[in-house]
Amino acid sequence: MTLIATRPGPGAARPYRFPQVVRRSAAGGQVVAAHLPGQNLAVALLLLDGGAGREPVGKEGLGGVLAKALEEGTAQRDATAYALAIEALGTELVTGLDWDSFQVSVQVPVDRLSAAVELLTEAVRTPKLDPVDVRRVRDDEATALRMDWANPGPRADAVLRADLFGADNRWGRPLYGDPESVAALDVDDVTVFHSEWFIRPGTLIVAGDLDRVDLDALAATVFTGAGGAAADKGGPIEVPLSDRRRIILVDRPGSVQSTLRLGHPSPHRAHPDHVPMTLAGTVLGGAFTSRLNHLIREVRGYTYGIRGDFASSRRFGRFAISSGVQTAVTAPALVEAVGEVSRTQLTGVTEDELTVARSWRAGQLSVELQSPRAIASALTTLVVHDLPDDYHARLREALLAATVEEVSAAAAAHLHPESLTLVVEGDAAVIRDELVAAGLGEVVDHTS
Amino acid sequence: MPDSGYPWPIETTRLDNGLRVVVSEDRTAPAVAVNLWYDVGSRHEPEGQTGFAHLFEHLMFEGSVNVAKTEHMRLIQGSGGSLNATTNPDRTNYFETVPAEHLELALWLEADRMGGLVPALTQETLDNQRDVVKNERRQRYENVPYGDAWLRLLPLLYPPGHPYHHATIGSMADLNAADLATFQAFHTTYYAPNNAVLTVVGDTTAAEVFALADKYFGALPPREDIPAAPDGRTVPATGRPAVETVTAEVPAPRVYVAHRTQPFGTPGYDVATVLATVLGSGRGSRLYQRLADGERIAQPDLVGAYGVDLAHAPAPLIATATARPGVSGDRLREGLAEVVDELATVPVTAAELDRAKALLSTMWWRQMSTVDGRADTLGRYATQFGDPARAGERLPAWLAVTAEQIAEQAAELLGAADRATLTYLPEETS
Repeated sequence: MTLIATRPGPGAARPYRFPQVVRRSAAGGQVVAAHLPGQNLAVALLLLDGGAGREPVGKEGLGGVLAKALEEGTAQRDATAYALAIEALGTELVTGLDWDSFQVSVQVPVDRLSAAVELLTEAVRTPKLDPVDVRRVRDDEATALRMDWANPGPRADAVLRADLFGADNRWGRPLYGDPESVAALDVDDVTVFHSEWFIRPGTLIVAGDLDRVDLDALAATVFTGAGGAAADKGGPIEVPLSDRRRIILVDRPGSVQSTLRLGHPSPHRAHPDHVPMTLAGTVLGGAFTSRLNHLIREVRGYTYGIRGDFASSRRFGRFAISSGVQTAVTAPALVEAVGEVSRTQLTGVTEDELTVARSWRAGQLSVELQSPRAIASALTTLVVHDLPDDYHARLREALLAATVEEVSAAAAAHLHPESLTLVVEGDAAVIRDELVAAGLGEVVDHTS
Repeated sequence: MPDSGYPWPIETTRLDNGLRVVVSEDRTAPAVAVNLWYDVGSRHEPEGQTGFAHLFEHLMFEGSVNVAKTEHMRLIQGSGGSLNATTNPDRTNYFETVPAEHLELALWLEADRMGGLVPALTQETLDNQRDVVKNERRQRYENVPYGDAWLRLLPLLYPPGHPYHHATIGSMADLNAADLATFQAFHTTYYAPNNAVLTVVGDTTAAEVFALADKYFGALPPREDIPAAPDGRTVPATGRPAVETVTAEVPAPRVYVAHRTQPFGTPGYDVATVLATVLGSGRGSRLYQRLADGERIAQPDLVGAYGVDLAHAPAPLIATATARPGVSGDRLREGLAEVVDELATVPVTAAELDRAKALLSTMWWRQMSTVDGRADTLGRYATQFGDPARAGERLPAWLAVTAEQIAEQAAELLGAADRATLTYLPEETS
């Protein structure tokens, strides 16, 4: 045999390093930066307390419309001139929002960073927001959401979220809104949201070679003229578990796959069980080698992939499983997925599984945190969740130290197979009878 | 203008069995990227065996002589690593990034499946992964609006028998017909050390990698007569446009305009890359300015143009737009064609050219900002051009492209007679 049969062990472990973090107050705002010596690209990101959680109920999608409207001209120049100016630097304005924050960023060769940050600031602080442009952007966004909602997934996500969190609450409605909520926005909604949340200083995040960056000058650019105190962020929200498991069927006639979204509420981000819960989620559904993917894909061949995880924001969280399975095996795939949740909740994890899960999560902190974009994202985690500079090193130690008992206890406490909502988006006429026969819970047809 | 797009060291060697090994040391982060390019892709598939190269890629994760089924994933993830593989018309690549102390494990795993896959391959594994791939096809191509656009464009661009005529995902009928012996032969034929490039980038040295490569791969036998794919360099012009209109369950009319340019890696494809950026990348691009902003017939998030970086035949350049509500497919198709046509008649300005080059520079350095991005790039240049150091030429070549070259290429290659147009129209609602 020409192959070496013995699997090699690891070499000497390298010490873990997260880039050096620099924090300072300058020009009336906060700067959090990471030093990446020798890196040619740099990222600057302005983090604002203007996430979807700040949108009023009924105004879902406001942040998304405002994000697009920022580029429709500024006090200094029109939309075309703005696009040409920022793209001439080799960057585009990248906007993003989640429940806790709104982010605007640029990524450029480091010698162009200050010019790019000037343009970023211009768009964020002094957008023109001409009513004609805002209405057009709103209509375009509604159209874009209609396009997106023609794909399988968004409807199922929205149905699950509404069932978990209640459609009367902002957090029970889609993060980016839906086509109807966006179409109903008016110009004042957008300008008021901007004046309320986009004039406050926020936090400037920088990832790059700090020897070639003047942080004070960047801070002066971003924060000069900004004003307003930080707003109260609100505490964790108590979300009740459902008292029974049920299936909600969303009809998609002719669908060759059924899109599955299973979930229940789970703790918010600062919950003390965050690490063992993450690991329990990893063993159950967070990695390619997890229980769900192993059984449903690698053993059964029902799907291209299935994932499950705990996700959390400052105020709430949820456990969810998502997959697309061939229509003919919808019911058995659901039965087996629920079975794995129950098994994990009842009997916990094994040492073998946990060894993989903890090493994977810990190793990812080296492997996936390389690019300026990834480091900037890690810094936003520090800011949004009030975490210390050495958070990533501490997280790594906590992951590696977690025991089978702790992780199994987290699975027992935070998985609730009897409270799962099972949303199935597929060809209802073909799958309804089998879903009823599966006995997983009452089958309800979604109507909208 | 930078002298090189690759300012890191590159060291190479070739084992006696023909395996080329490329190393680029970088001690910045305690991680290494391991990347294997096998010079086999869907262009090698004969009629009746479409989708086999890609299905085979799945089988490479299902165990080999010394690695149990599913153990590959478990060992890499259990080391803290990320991994994946992709197949395209040109080639198949396998890659993992791991904390540096697990380099040797990654090389052992790669060697075991290069040299020892066939004895571990079972009918059960094949049947399982065939089902997985069929679900991949449903999920990515069949169950989403416009999902089959690429499957429809390729036969419009490349005639029957051409290596790019069929899509990598293959047909359901061929996947159903796949038998075990064919896959065993596929591995024996193509997964030989002299048909591969091993690249390692990151926290290691060339000496260490060369020694480990020799230890784990050195005894694998080379294969002599690896069959070449059909030659696709010359695609006879038909002299008339290819047009297809599909009425389907889609939310709005969408048009794709596609052309054959030059193979990736040629000066002509560098021109096509800059041209595509001028045409369709960003809000300052011609398509955005004309169709999304100016005439407002296209949805702003869904206009764009891009080249598909294929090296073994004239590579596709694709421009696309999706209609705003109330705009017909005909109107959109005319508008899109007009903007493409004007590349030959309305000179690209200095500002347009600078904008495109700045965006391409950032894109290049973004690819270079991770060890895995660099490893895949070096593997590509070693496989397709025989020298990983040629990766450093790409960015300077883009930056040297002129407005005249763009106009010449547009006149020569982007004419109406060489155009493939695919239009999706929504089904009539009653």
